[in-house]
Amino acid sequence: MKNWITRYNPRYVRSLVYMMQASEYSIRDFLSWYNRTSDFNHIEQRKKLDFTLKASVLFLGGGLLLITLYSSLIILLFSVFNILGLLFFLIGIVLIPFIFPYLFICLLVILKILQLPLEWIIIQRGRKIISEHKALKIGIAGSYGKTSMREMLKTVLAESKKVAAPPSSYNTVLGISKFLQTLKGDEDVLLFELGEYYPGDIMRLCKFTKPDLGIVTGINEAHLSKFKSIDKTVATIYEISDWLGQGRPLFVNGENGLAKNNAPSQSQIYSRDGMGKRKVSNATTTLAGLDFKVSNGEEELNLHSNLLGMHHIGPLLVVLQIALDLGLTKEQIVEGVSKTKPFEHRLQPVYDSSGVITLDDSYNGNPDGVKAVIDFLGHLNGHRRFYVTPGLVEMGHRTEEVHKEIGIWLAQAKIEKVVLIKNSVTHFIESGLREAKYSGEIIWFDNAIKAYNSLPNLTVSGDVVLLQNDWPDQYA
Amino acid sequence: MKKTIGVIFGGQSAEHEVSIITAHVPIIQSLLALDKYEVIPIYIAKDGSWYSDQQLNKLSFFQSPGWEENLKKFKKLQVSLNNGFEIIWPGLRSIAKKIDIVFPAMHGTNGEDGSLMGLLRMANVPFVGCDVAASAVAMDKALTKQVLESQGILVTPYVWFTASEWEKSKDELLTDIKKLSWPLFIKPVHLGSSIGISKVKNETELINGIEVALHYDDKVLVEDGVQNLIEVTLPLMGNEDIRVAEVERPLNKTEFFDFSDKYLSGGTKSEGANSLYSEIPANIDDNLINQVKELGKRTFKILGCTGIVRVDFLINKSSGKIYVNEVNTLPGSLYHHNWRKAGVSNIELVENLVILAEQHFTARQRLTFSFQSDILKKVSGSKMVK
Repeated sequence: MKNWITRYNPRYVRSLVYMMQASEYSIRDFLSWYNRTSDFNHIEQRKKLDFTLKASVLFLGGGLLLITLYSSLIILLFSVFNILGLLFFLIGIVLIPFIFPYLFICLLVILKILQLPLEWIIIQRGRKIISEHKALKIGIAGSYGKTSMREMLKTVLAESKKVAAPPSSYNTVLGISKFLQTLKGDEDVLLFELGEYYPGDIMRLCKFTKPDLGIVTGINEAHLSKFKSIDKTVATIYEISDWLGQGRPLFVNGENGLAKNNAPSQSQIYSRDGMGKRKVSNATTTLAGLDFKVSNGEEELNLHSNLLGMHHIGPLLVVLQIALDLGLTKEQIVEGVSKTKPFEHRLQPVYDSSGVITLDDSYNGNPDGVKAVIDFLGHLNGHRRFYVTPGLVEMGHRTEEVHKEIGIWLAQAKIEKVVLIKNSVTHFIESGLREAKYSGEIIWFDNAIKAYNSLPNLTVSGDVVLLQNDWPDQYA
Repeated sequence: MKKTIGVIFGGQSAEHEVSIITAHVPIIQSLLALDKYEVIPIYIAKDGSWYSDQQLNKLSFFQSPGWEENLKKFKKLQVSLNNGFEIIWPGLRSIAKKIDIVFPAMHGTNGEDGSLMGLLRMANVPFVGCDVAASAVAMDKALTKQVLESQGILVTPYVWFTASEWEKSKDELLTDIKKLSWPLFIKPVHLGSSIGISKVKNETELINGIEVALHYDDKVLVEDGVQNLIEVTLPLMGNEDIRVAEVERPLNKTEFFDFSDKYLSGGTKSEGANSLYSEIPANIDDNLINQVKELGKRTFKILGCTGIVRVDFLINKSSGKIYVNEVNTLPGSLYHHNWRKAGVSNIELVENLVILAEQHFTARQRLTFSFQSDILKKVSGSKMVK
């Protein structure tokens, strides 16, 4: 009853538009959220509705539609002033908020249809630009680690080349087309993150961006609830291999079982141990960054990166190889690697005046990334460690297994405090912790905001707080 | 059922706003995060009205425009002290809430000076922090010096007087004051957070400074300025067993450490009282650090403190002499920034203080305050005189 009333909240339309926007106007994702949501009172929590043209049109259109529906009912009540009229009125009042989201989707479909010609023009222009562009085009595919790889490449190659890459959110054909129109034409390297949500996505993006070289950063359960089976995820990501064929290089992350086991024979496999003839030694990682030596026969390179964690070594070897192929000097590479650093929300250390070190890893929401980070925390000595997480989303039928594993890893790494947000998955982490006889403290919070607000009251100087993953509102 | 804990803050004091900060950062925020108690905010407005509403648990309420107007929409509270502390929202259906533990978060007069503690004693309710006597003595800077001096603790030479004494015997007092070593510090004896304090270097400044101090208080202290000064402060916590935090050295931005340095300059919102103005732990000789800690503990004992205090010290770098300057029975924001550096989180700090309050209360309950007497039976009006 209480939840039913929330559908009459004056912000109902705004909440629906907000969630449409958060779902990137995917009807499938929006419906999936709508069907599992019962309380519509507190939808806009982490972000606010961005009144773009599209959102404004939907907001106004939706508002008008809802007003029209209720007005019609009132007119009906007064024009047919009898028991039947009253009955229709009451049924209408009950049903409208339930029917409305579907009518709202119709509004979105109409809007999408109206946008089609404009989008077609933008895509055609993008297609022309990319076909004529002489730059080396690098396609980065994978369930996780794409943005890290893009940023590493961008930082190191920029020591001597002009490099351009669309922002992470521009990972659709339309988004990339918009980005292409901003290019000057004199770029040496173009980097593309190839996002996959459904089978065929990677091939579609490859046909559009025409990569000369590909990287598979890893494959896991991310978006499993969309793909339904991990085999489909593997096949979709390896569409990049179908595009590249025999002649063009493909680098594959050897630390990820699914990527490695399904890699085509000609792939170059990279890991923290090395790549091809290049071997890694003397690797150490602390809060100050990552140091390692790369040897290739007589040649040796000592590299320092500000990135945290051993799992960055493999990707940096790929960067090293591409940089050498593009003619960068060793000095330029050493300098470039030394400039690589954690970027926003990806294992980014933040030091506060009270001496607490917060590692913001809130954009890392995949099991491999989580394992790498717990591994890093496990190596941090002399600090009390807090691990704060609401768990991972879109793990499909592997939800329980993945979260239990996280609990086991945390127990094995002897993390002192595990802060869990109450939701549908974190009790699996607790099960994993108990199973592995975790000896630290588990602290529960009703929601992430309460947990974040309470952290300054829980911590002392020298503590390391890891914020692992943040659930967007559509999953909350 | 969770125990109720009432956090009393605000009050009719020059440090009203500081009290609001202390109550929220870290007390209420930590109690809410701890999730063991039902937290009842009890706010005393500047006009002396008492209010309580869950909205007052948020610092943002006091930061929103027009909050004082919004406050008036709440019902004014009544308080019952009838063998327990109860707050009552009056009305046709009046609602009463029994408070199991009180966490006073009041700075300065009418709160930190023992008056609130007296009220809570009367109500027979456990409360956090120092009891009546320690609070009253520590609130009076002159009295603190007198008590500590009598127990052999080094304090800087001083002269104290009341407003009426100043009016009647200004010249004699000035003669006494001039025997002290310049520069001098003038302090209203009852105010904290460095309000109304001035540092003076000549007679004109001295008289002005005294006038300013008398504007805030009816009793004033004039004391020596220590040469080659190192100023440090030390938070302590406990009842019988005393735990010390880190020795902290304020980094003077102005000539002395005033209200704005403590609460207004720099710092982050989440830290409450400013945390960037000092060096923690103080970068001074280990021997001095140890002496300061020992002196802090002795001061705590001599004044009969319980719960939490902060003791301020003045050190003469050349002579190595350490003077106890003053004692604060409710450090702003509990000096949680210092405790965090000492390895005590806000939650641990606040929870420990609640536990200490309960222990102190239990210990007091064991005392006998009444005894059977037949004196009343012996009284029969005028016959008694016979």
